[in-house]
Amino acid sequence: MILGRILGGAMAKSRIGRAEQRNGWLFIAPTLVLLGLFMVYPIVWSLWMSFQTGRGMNHSFGGFTNIIRLTQDPVFLRALTNTGIFLVVQVPIMIVLALLFAAALNNPKLRFRGFFRTAIFLPCVTSLVAYSILFKSMFASDGVINDLAIMLHLMDAPISWLGDPFWARTVIILAITWRWTGYNMIFYLAAMQNIDKSIYEAARIDGVPGWARFRYITLPMLKPVILFTTVISTIGTLQLFDEVNNITTGGPSDSTLTLSLYIYNLTFKFMPSLGYAATVSYVIVILVAVLSFLQFLVAKDRKA
Amino acid sequence: MSRVFAQARSGLVYAGLSLAAFVSIFPFFWMLVGTTNTAPDIIKGKITFGSALFDNITNLFAQVDMVQVFWNSTFLAIVGTVLTLAISSLAGYAFEMFPSKTRERVFAVLLLTLSIPFAAIMVPLFVMMAKLTLINTFTAILLPSIASVFIIFYFRQATKAFPHELRDAAKIDGLKEWQIFLYIYLPVMRSTYAAAIIIVFMANWNNYLWPLIVLQTNENKTLTLVVSSLASSYYPDYGVVMVATVLATLPTIIVFFLLQRRFVEGLTGSVK
Amino acid sequence: MNQMLIRARKSVFLATGISLLAMTSALAGEVTVWSWDPNFNGATMKEAAARYSASHPDMTINLVDFAKADLEQKLQAQLASGTTEGLPDIVLIEDYGAQKYLLSFPGAFEPLNGKIDYSGFAPYKVELATVDGNTYSMPFDSGVTGLFYRSDILAEAGYTAADLQDIDWDQFIEIAKVVKEKTGHPMLGIDLNDAGAVRILLQSMGAWYFTPDGQPAIAGDAKFKAALSTYAKLLQAKEIYKPVSGWTEYTGGFVSGEVASVFTGVWMTATIKAANMSGQWGVAPLPKMPGVEGATHASNLGGSSWYVLSSSAEKDEAVDFLAEVWGKDADFYQKILVDQGALGSYLAAREGEAYKASDAYFGGQAVWQSFSDWLAAVPAVNYGIFTNEVDAAVAAQLPALAEGGSVDDAIAAIDAQVRAQIQ
Repeated sequence: MILGRILGGAMAKSRIGRAEQRNGWLFIAPTLVLLGLFMVYPIVWSLWMSFQTGRGMNHSFGGFTNIIRLTQDPVFLRALTNTGIFLVVQVPIMIVLALLFAAALNNPKLRFRGFFRTAIFLPCVTSLVAYSILFKSMFASDGVINDLAIMLHLMDAPISWLGDPFWARTVIILAITWRWTGYNMIFYLAAMQNIDKSIYEAARIDGVPGWARFRYITLPMLKPVILFTTVISTIGTLQLFDEVNNITTGGPSDSTLTLSLYIYNLTFKFMPSLGYAATVSYVIVILVAVLSFLQFLVAKDRKA
Repeated sequence: MSRVFAQARSGLVYAGLSLAAFVSIFPFFWMLVGTTNTAPDIIKGKITFGSALFDNITNLFAQVDMVQVFWNSTFLAIVGTVLTLAISSLAGYAFEMFPSKTRERVFAVLLLTLSIPFAAIMVPLFVMMAKLTLINTFTAILLPSIASVFIIFYFRQATKAFPHELRDAAKIDGLKEWQIFLYIYLPVMRSTYAAAIIIVFMANWNNYLWPLIVLQTNENKTLTLVVSSLASSYYPDYGVVMVATVLATLPTIIVFFLLQRRFVEGLTGSVK
Repeated sequence: MNQMLIRARKSVFLATGISLLAMTSALAGEVTVWSWDPNFNGATMKEAAARYSASHPDMTINLVDFAKADLEQKLQAQLASGTTEGLPDIVLIEDYGAQKYLLSFPGAFEPLNGKIDYSGFAPYKVELATVDGNTYSMPFDSGVTGLFYRSDILAEAGYTAADLQDIDWDQFIEIAKVVKEKTGHPMLGIDLNDAGAVRILLQSMGAWYFTPDGQPAIAGDAKFKAALSTYAKLLQAKEIYKPVSGWTEYTGGFVSGEVASVFTGVWMTATIKAANMSGQWGVAPLPKMPGVEGATHASNLGGSSWYVLSSSAEKDEAVDFLAEVWGKDADFYQKILVDQGALGSYLAAREGEAYKASDAYFGGQAVWQSFSDWLAAVPAVNYGIFTNEVDAAVAAQLPALAEGGSVDDAIAAIDAQVRAQIQ
């Protein structure tokens, strides 16, 4: 029996390399087939479209016309700026909040954990239609938020939340954070569950304080998941559409117009310029590529 | 002294969580209140319960075949989730467990595809589906979504925490790769799967743009499309809209409830 | 692995099965119609279908409804893909977008001028759907504008219906200021992200964002400057309006009784009636543009028409249906006026009873009569194909104008943005 095992082990070792390779490709085969069909062709098409100019069905090859048009398009530049602002402000806030909540909820001694967890996750499932109606009515000039803030003496006069560019952006950032913090929290919680509790025990016995345990044990083990959420959040914010379409419709005066909303307008609202819309899409692709690459780089030096 | 500090900090934690919980729940509460009020009251901002719940429900069911629509969304969500998890988690596992230079490059390309806004590939995808005569079918909705780079990415990152010793031990025991995946990996990564099920179910359930473009008939509509159409008349009946949105939200909450224990309550000892 | 494959195969079969069922449900003699708002557009279509089926029993109608924005997305995506499978037989399109669809997707729509006598319809509705001499639409609801006002609030401020006839916008602003002073009610609800009012002002002068041959009429155009200046005056008189954001808040303003008036298309009537304030409303003609030659009290906001897709298998039946009921049946128009508040563009219908009836909700005023008169007077304008682009550019400048910004600067900015967009 034991001999059989040893022999089997020895023989298996020489086959592992090839078997692994085979399984490697086999396991990802269904994915590659599906994506090859339903991703690659459309992407190639849209790449081809990005060099086309024209309206609707009448288009012709335009070379770099679309790219030049990008540089002279005031609306595109506005959309780019807005998207950038949302990215830089909102993503870090959300990641940090989600981490804090996950850390707090990972404590087995905390009471009502189930309730808090469900509550903070609830915004992710609340329907887009419902919460945009709600946010619009809460932040109206005579809405709940203004009333509350004046009652609490936080300010003297009502703010026109949705009528002022700065405040409209604030509302959007609040809406996104409200909606997606719970989502990221779930990923962190699941990952924290995979950390062996005995490590914490050992550290506590050694006298390591709570915040240090978090910083030196939890965070490093969460690195892969944190990288995942930052990349995903970056992509999500660069493609921001739902909130700005439903709550502010890109206004006022295009202050909440994002790249995705602009693409949407170019494709559906305006005289359809599918070629130019595709070009703007590739701006998003390039931004994502660059930012993701940077994020991977930052995470890399710690990777084993 | 440190006891007081600890208690104060604990109090702060509870306060913070409570505030977060309140802010998170309030809109849902408002939705529930809305189901019981009439449209004019909702617009005025009434936040107390009314008595129009029965009327709103009756009106909704009179206007829309809710049973059919609910079934459509449920079917798509469940089948989509099962298939997506099966195919994508397998790929995520493989990318991490069987590293190779070529596959790394493939992975990088796949990641890039995440950045393409859907609006950009929608038209060619539609043409493709038309050529396959799949317009207005559920197959057309499922096919592009079940290989999800997002989930592949997620599982790959999560697999980094999967101990290699387990796999080595299993191989010495003579298990084949697919058996290792099914019998060792799956149980150990339960919490990851639970989280993924929630995420994918939610994504499929709330899927909006592609079903809008592909589905043509009333019988095939999903719940998200119905809610959107209800909410955009010249004078929408917000009471009805609220009932529809609450119904639209319920399944995702239920799925979350069922699974959250599983991935949080502990796999102590399972790694051993 | 095998389990998963089996499961996958099963579900694909199931899905295909269901899809087969779905496809076979589109039978012969069935006309598929896409529209938005089942209580308004959908209901009128159903009524028309019922009338047609009485004499053509093998025709059934399959009404599919979407949110308006969704429908536009769907239609545009599908037309852009060049695939005709799954397109409906009849589709509802908003008038502002008519030229856009007709010119972007040539050949997608069926010309109807052989089958329908367009002389019986309001000219401006016919012209906007005409390209190269072919007309493609069955004109439906008109967006003829009026000034809906709270007669009780105006009375409290000392104004009667007579005071609102034949006024211009400067006088309107004066009245609004007095109303605010004496009753505390704002006269209007204004959304700074919506350029609809500018469109109303322009069309009332017979002007538009573009000249009849498609050139932007923005920089250097006297009428555009007049419209923008007048609207800027309105925006800068902050006390007379309530700033709103989005459709719900906008309609909520007057439905709740807070806002004293609204100038918009006749299709808003149903919403106004939903406020349940019978006897407290009146309708006055739209104020006209001050100091402009050719200014009228008649304008238009919105409105839509039915179009037939060339790819439709039921084309002939669909066209016949439209021509029979929508093109000739004056009685039909009475019914939809009473039931849905839909003011059709069929001129002969105006002789009908319902159109002449007085409406208790509006204090016994014969409102439909008024709207019909204005309907015939709406100046015909070519909406062109870039209306949405200019709209977006104008809306972007509204907040600045409200803060006292210069009209000339705004015009320059709008012009620059539009020229960049329409290349």
